[in-house]
Amino acid sequence: MEQFKMPYFYNYPPYFTLQPVKDTREKQIQLWKELILKYCKHYKVFVINLDEDFPLFVNSAIERKLSHEARELFLGALIAEGKAEWLDKAHRKCLILWRSVTDWANLILEFVKEYGFEEGVMTLEEIRTGDETRGTDLAGIDKTVLVRALKILEQKGKAAMFKGTAADDEGVKFSA
Amino acid sequence: MRKRPGLAGLQAAAANRDQFRSLGEDVAKARTDLMKEQLSVFRTQLEEFARKHKNDIRKNPAFRAQFHAMCQKIGVDPLASNKGFWAELLGIGDFYYELGVQIVDVCLATRPHNGGLMDLEELRGHLMKRRRVSREAITEDDCIRAISKLKALGSGFEIFTVGNRRLVRSVPTELNKDHNQIIEAAQSEGYVTAEDIVNRFSWRRGRVVDALETLMKDGLVMVDDGHPDGKRRYWFPCVNTMDVDPDESAGTAT
Repeated sequence: MEQFKMPYFYNYPPYFTLQPVKDTREKQIQLWKELILKYCKHYKVFVINLDEDFPLFVNSAIERKLSHEARELFLGALIAEGKAEWLDKAHRKCLILWRSVTDWANLILEFVKEYGFEEGVMTLEEIRTGDETRGTDLAGIDKTVLVRALKILEQKGKAAMFKGTAADDEGVKFSA
Repeated sequence: MRKRPGLAGLQAAAANRDQFRSLGEDVAKARTDLMKEQLSVFRTQLEEFARKHKNDIRKNPAFRAQFHAMCQKIGVDPLASNKGFWAELLGIGDFYYELGVQIVDVCLATRPHNGGLMDLEELRGHLMKRRRVSREAITEDDCIRAISKLKALGSGFEIFTVGNRRLVRSVPTELNKDHNQIIEAAQSEGYVTAEDIVNRFSWRRGRVVDALETLMKDGLVMVDDGHPDGKRRYWFPCVNTMDVDPDESAGTAT
C-alpha cells in the first residue's frame, strides 16, 4: 500500500502538546481531527484502541507522542461531529467513521447492483474478505459498520439479514 | 544742466525692455521646446524600451531590480499610479498588485499556523510555488515593494527585521523589544526554553515568562511539553522554515 503522506504539522513538536491558548488549540484539534480521518481512511483503520500504541499518535522521528488526554480530546471532537463513536463504556475503543454509515450503505448498494447480487445471498464474512469484494472499497470493512449499514438497507427493504447455523455465520439476502 | 527725462528717453527705455523681454521669451521658448523635445524623445525611448523588455521586466527579477533602480534615478515611480502610461505600458503596476493580492492570500492562509508572523523567505517560497505556472520568478525585493503598496490599505502589513531575518507581519500586533529579542533567540533552533532566555539576556524569570505568555496569547508561540528532558519548549512557527502548504491550511481553516 502506498505510504500515507503526513501533513506538515505532524513533524512540528508543539502539535503533540495540548495548546493552552484557545484559538491555537481549536486549530490544533481541527488539524488532528482531519489527520485521524484521512489516516484511518488510507489504511482502512476502523477501530482505534487507546490501550495499544496507535502509530499515528507516536512520532518517533521527533520523539513526541500524544498524551492520553490529547488522544481522548481529539477523538471526542470527532465523536461530537458524529464521525466516531466509543465502542465501550470505558472509552478505550473508538470506532472511526471516516465514511458515514449511510455512505457505506449506499456503497454496498452500488456494489450489489454492479456485481449482479440484486437478488443474491452473501455471508457477512464474504463481504468482508471474500473474492467478490476484493479490490473494492468494501474489502476489509469493519463488522460493526457493516451490520449497521445493512440495517439501513433493511429499513429500506433492500436487504434482509439472517443468522446461519453457526454463531459467526451471518448472512444477508439482497433485494435491491 | 541736467538732462530732463523726455518722451524719447522713456520710449527708448520701453523699447529696450520690450526687446529684452522678447529675447528672454525666445530663449525660454527655445529651452522649453528643447526640453519638450528631449522629454518626448525620452518618453519614446522609454516606451520603446518598455515595449521591448516588457517580458524581461515581468519575468526576470534581476532586470526588474535594475529597472527600478533606473526609474529611481530619473525620479519616476512606476508604481505610483496604475493609470499612468507606465502601468499601461509595462503592466508593472499589475505585477505588484497581483503579487500583493497573493501575499495577502498566503498570509491569511498561514495565519492560523503562524499567528500572522512569517519569515519573508518562507513567504517568497510560497509565492514561488503559486506562480510556478507563469514561471515568473520573484525576489525578496519584489515582496518588499508589493508589501509597501499594501501599507496604503492600512491593513497592518509590515516588514521588520529581527536578527538576520526579515519577518512579515500581517496582524496589528504590537511587538516590544523583549518580544523581538526572544524571536531572534529562537531563530537558530525554532524554539527557546525560558532558561535559554534567562541565561542569554540575564532577565528575571518573570519578565521572560511574561513576554512568552503574551506571544502565546497572540498565537505566535506554541508550547511543547513533550521533550524527553521535560523542559517546556516555546516554538515559533514564524521562524521555522517548515514546509507548510498554504492550500492545505486554507482548507482546514474553514
